[in-house]
Amino acid sequence: MPTATYIALANTTLTSAASSVTFSSIPATYRDLVLVVTYNSVNEFILAEFNADSGNNYPFVEMWANGTGPANSGTGTVSGAYIGYSAQNVQQQGIIHIMDYSATDKHKTCLARSGAGFSLAAVASRWTNTNAITSVKVKAQLGNFAIGNTFALYGIVS
Amino acid sequence: MSAWTVIRHEELGSAQASIEFTSIPQTYTDLVLVLSLRTTTGTAWSDGKLEFNNVTTGYSTRTLFGSGSTASSITETVLNIRVSSNANTASTFGNQMIYIPNYTSSTQKSVSIDQVTENNATQALQAIYAGLSDITSAITSLKVTATSGTSYAQYSSATLFGVTKGSSGGVTVS
Repeated sequence: MPTATYIALANTTLTSAASSVTFSSIPATYRDLVLVVTYNSVNEFILAEFNADSGNNYPFVEMWANGTGPANSGTGTVSGAYIGYSAQNVQQQGIIHIMDYSATDKHKTCLARSGAGFSLAAVASRWTNTNAITSVKVKAQLGNFAIGNTFALYGIVS
Repeated sequence: MSAWTVIRHEELGSAQASIEFTSIPQTYTDLVLVLSLRTTTGTAWSDGKLEFNNVTTGYSTRTLFGSGSTASSITETVLNIRVSSNANTASTFGNQMIYIPNYTSSTQKSVSIDQVTENNATQALQAIYAGLSDITSAITSLKVTATSGTSYAQYSSATLFGVTKGSSGGVTVS
């Protein structure tokens, strides 16, 4: 029988609005983490904060488009690894892959894809910290996630 | 236990106009469709479409793509599956990976597509899509159809995975 390599770790579906969802006690057992978020909110940056570090310690580079203009690219630094941006109140998804999350000899790099039928983004982020990630807080930068929004965390075995 | 489960794998023994998965079990959390496609005719690449539950309308997509010389963004009203065509390098198939979270939910369905039309020449396309379907019922079938006038070539393949959320390793969520 094949060895399982993609393991479901934890999940939740909101039954009331919340500004964040936190995954804690993440073991150092896996190589990478994958977080799948579905959300619908307006004018929100959706970010992933590691180990309660809410400082501007997450530089990113992105490319994004809305289908009516040219492709865009930009850089910045924010208070969490960039998952997505919600510009309209429609069902959207964000998937962020956190590489080598349990390593203690490197900053943590992430790749994220997000969007829905009105815009999309591909973002590379870096947490400027060499600590192993033991918690991930998914936060809506300005407001709340809505009832029914889902959050699922998976570990990839090396 | 792995969170990914193969629901069904199809490889074409001969050319056909579409590939369809029906009676999709409603027991998973998300769906992932991985495609390896090439059409029997075409020019630089070949278009196609992905539809759910035989519904032909209510799709919107924003696409970001690069052709090797320019990057562009467009809007479409289909979930466009662009693949390698018979005009591309021989024995070469385009790849697509499609993620559909919460496919059994009663909400609209967001779709994420990463794809490339493989070609060892100047005309190839890499694209990422964010799509939305206004279907608010569970997805029970999905169909990939080549553009009119062409078919998917022999050895084209499609694999449908179910992804299951769960709990393990002592991780808590609050």
